[in-house]
Amino acid sequence: MTHTLHRSGTEESLGGDFVFLYMPAFGINNIDSGPKLRQFLEIAQRHNPVSFGDGFHGNVFAKGRENILNNIKKDGSVVHAVFDNEEDAAGMLKDIKEADLGLSLVVSGIFDRVKGICQKNGIHRHAATYSLGIWGKTEKLPPDEVLDVITMCGHGMVSAGRVNFMADEVRAGRKSAEDAAKELASQCDCGIFNPSRAAKLLTALAKK
Amino acid sequence: MKIDPELCIACEACIPYCPMGAISMGDDVAAINQDECVECGICLRSGSCPVDAFVEEKHPWPRQIRAEFSNPTVPHHSTGIAGRGTEEVKTNEVTGRLKPGWLAFAVEFGRPVTGARFRDVDTVAQALAKLGVTFEPINPVTALMEDTKTGKIREDILNEKVLSAIIECVFPREKAPEVLNTLQEAVKKIDTVCSVDLADLVEPDESVPAEKMLDEMGIFHRINGKTNVGFGRPKYKGGN
Repeated sequence: MTHTLHRSGTEESLGGDFVFLYMPAFGINNIDSGPKLRQFLEIAQRHNPVSFGDGFHGNVFAKGRENILNNIKKDGSVVHAVFDNEEDAAGMLKDIKEADLGLSLVVSGIFDRVKGICQKNGIHRHAATYSLGIWGKTEKLPPDEVLDVITMCGHGMVSAGRVNFMADEVRAGRKSAEDAAKELASQCDCGIFNPSRAAKLLTALAKK
Repeated sequence: MKIDPELCIACEACIPYCPMGAISMGDDVAAINQDECVECGICLRSGSCPVDAFVEEKHPWPRQIRAEFSNPTVPHHSTGIAGRGTEEVKTNEVTGRLKPGWLAFAVEFGRPVTGARFRDVDTVAQALAKLGVTFEPINPVTALMEDTKTGKIREDILNEKVLSAIIECVFPREKAPEVLNTLQEAVKKIDTVCSVDLADLVEPDESVPAEKMLDEMGIFHRINGKTNVGFGRPKYKGGN
């Protein structure tokens, strides 16, 4: 489960991309963790999440807010919330620390910024996972500007063909970049695809 | 996945949804290349077909592993857990899987975009096994090894294609240069891409030894990644 890692992009673009993952350790503290996972997602609602979802059930665009909140498994799941700015991410981190629910929180984003909001909240980080990029037959990959969109779904559910199709729709004026981005986000089962960032990337793609 | 030719209206709406590009127009209707299809099911779940022409089948071994490694809603038969890998360091403050002085390493084949066949996973797993790395015991790829000492993947699945599959292992920090050099050589023999990651514990002074080591080795790493902020409890014995 490295699905929130390996997101590509420029520093400016990645600066609007913070993914929070919250989960129990299965076999240790997962029993009756469902209400804590729900509380995490409820707290997230106060901080303007651009997406959220339950890895075992679906994302807000495909399933709807109440459906997600009401179907978290009693004995554990993996839930996510995505924020498109540092202020909301910092507020979320502060509230989760204060709620002290006891499950594991992983924040994906630019390391220096995540470290900064941790330090502001008096948090000593436990571990860091570094992406060493893409190795092997990289000539098989689509252009970087398409990769920047599709790598926001770590399970690969957003295809390059679909990104190009949406860029065409935006270019032709048949869809707004925001609507196109939300349609792509609905395909990412876990809800970690950032439609706010994707709208900006699709707008740029449509101008090419 | 198949498309019912009696129902398909040849609207072509489904074609761009396939991450593997396995859907194309046949004579009069759309069809799926069964060798390239990884059974991820996104064509069906996305609701792309206006006439519900997709037919999802249960597949016997060995094809059943395609959905397990490609559809994030399908659990692995070996671990009972959906997804590609394990909890790795996401819950490490509770599990203590990664100990001080050790590194956690993962190679995800087929990600992004290309998909991968297990023969490529086998090539790299055998190369890493020769270095004495410890493969993650509850990882679904490890479960497909004939022998975790050799890293050999079972013969009957080598041609199966999946959206991605992850080798996870741990090793002492001082072994990192040897592991990374070995991987650089091994990936020259594979016909796909892989996304590579390395995890380390954060020191009391907030530094991360692995980051310094990668910089000294001249190994690229992204500016963004995952941070476990350490909120889980109970902490593992010896954890902070």
